[in-house]
Amino acid sequence: MSAAVNLAIETGGIAFRNPILTASGTFGYGKEFEGLTDLHALGGLVTKGISPKPRFGNATPRICETASGMLNSIGLENVGVEGFERDKLPYLRDCGTRVLVNFFGATFDEYVDCGARLDALDGVDGLEMNVSCPNIKAGGIEFGTDPRVLRDLVRACRSAVKKPLWVKLTPNTSDIVALAVACAEGGADGLSIINTITGMAIDARTRRPKIATIFGGLSGPAIKPIALRMVYQVRRAGVSLPISGIGGIQDATDAIEFFLAGASTVQIGTQSFVDPDASGRIVRDLGARLAADGIRDVRELVGALAVG
Amino acid sequence: MRYFQAKISENRVLGGGYFVLRLSGCASLAPAKPGQFVMIRGAWGRDPLLPRAFSLLSVGPGGTADILAKTVGRGTALLERALPGAGVDVLGPLGSSFPEPDPETTDLLVAGGVGLPPLYMQASLAADRRQVARSEMIYGGRGGDDLVLLQEMQAMGLSLFLTTENGTVGTKGLVTRALEARLVHHRGTPLRVMGCGPNAMLWAVARIARDKGVPCFISLEEQMACGIGVCLGCAIPARSRPYRYVCSNGPVFDAADVLDVDGQPGPAVPAACPA
Repeated sequence: MSAAVNLAIETGGIAFRNPILTASGTFGYGKEFEGLTDLHALGGLVTKGISPKPRFGNATPRICETASGMLNSIGLENVGVEGFERDKLPYLRDCGTRVLVNFFGATFDEYVDCGARLDALDGVDGLEMNVSCPNIKAGGIEFGTDPRVLRDLVRACRSAVKKPLWVKLTPNTSDIVALAVACAEGGADGLSIINTITGMAIDARTRRPKIATIFGGLSGPAIKPIALRMVYQVRRAGVSLPISGIGGIQDATDAIEFFLAGASTVQIGTQSFVDPDASGRIVRDLGARLAADGIRDVRELVGALAVG
Repeated sequence: MRYFQAKISENRVLGGGYFVLRLSGCASLAPAKPGQFVMIRGAWGRDPLLPRAFSLLSVGPGGTADILAKTVGRGTALLERALPGAGVDVLGPLGSSFPEPDPETTDLLVAGGVGLPPLYMQASLAADRRQVARSEMIYGGRGGDDLVLLQEMQAMGLSLFLTTENGTVGTKGLVTRALEARLVHHRGTPLRVMGCGPNAMLWAVARIARDKGVPCFISLEEQMACGIGVCLGCAIPARSRPYRYVCSNGPVFDAADVLDVDGQPGPAVPAACPA
């Protein structure tokens, strides 16, 4: 990477050494990738979603491959706030990159409680609210799809969280802009766009759904055009919050496309399953690519889509 | 565990959809133990997307590693057609392994179809230690095409007990009946059962071993995306807590831990976890 290229960016209340983060649910709690990718080289990582108490997750089968993608219905399995603080955070404190903790609850009070407890932990640089998991009836989809409920939930968490607060939006909506506006009104510092898209796969031979919960969240390259569209819609609508783009990013070119659409950071998700060094490789390739193109600062790309 | 590029140096078609890939450039797999696995992906572009998990068949000198696979879907079909010289991405060695051969104990290795590799590797380890007389392979499949590498195993000096459902090779019937017969034969001597094959076969093997009071270790299979305990896709019910993971807790488990007391699927998902 050429030293002349600046990849650093301060956005959503956090200063990152570069705009490449890893997405919640695809990077564990960081330690799983020790020796496989250089955590020091990443802009940041977003942990598995944390709830106030541990959760054991859904019945199996939980995943299946689809065309250029995969469906998952893990069920938000996680170690809970206490387990996170005791078993996961010590490693993350010293891992050398920014740490955002994804979190959720089953009720308003649980969201606020979980957010406040995580906010108080040394070593947590910011929080990302999961309001968009399509697998959880009680704690996900309703919060994330009704703009008024979403605004009130973000506002309630905002009052309890001093650190940067991002909201990860669900794409399972007809109006992504209304959800983004609701988050801005609620006092969020940033948006992560998008979470997985609800989908389904069927085994024609057994006549059964391929995952136990019938519906699951679609991720991978298959969803990239939808993610790009939603990032751009929010950007074009003039919503003031910075965007972290997520959805099927496999290489530096994909990342650049998200920057052009309006994202100031991107998150690498399913690709970390395909290539555990994907995020590190994209950091390296991005620097080289910008240098080759004569672009001196990655920030020049943000929202630089040429239209008309 | 390393993530690295390897090359296919040989692709040996065995018939019946079975093939052995020999990979070169796999020096970091040399410490692998029987039961451990690798994630493998060819230069497949965006589709199929995910790497595939394979138990190791053997790791050889000079950085070679062999994989026995059977074509069951798009990923394995691409590998079956792969030509020598093709590159593959490899992550491994991953997961747990079978207990080491013990000179005082007879190991009944029970393989079903493409579940052969980890037990072949276990037998090979026993042969290397001149303990192969303490191992026997009980190996079953639907038909004769499902029983592969027989000459290689005979060359190890391994006793083979073959079964096929259609009766074309060995004893007609299921591998579990042959296991029961061998357990009776060895009654009163220290025994262990080690199994790999379809999960339904493994539960049956585990129940038989449990009923005879014989320690049993089984290598399970589940859909997995990452192989390193991140995607949490390969969950299986366990006695000790609601789920364990084939990739990071297994694939080799003490059957007593993952087998429910009735041989049924494990504890239901707690009410606190809505769908």
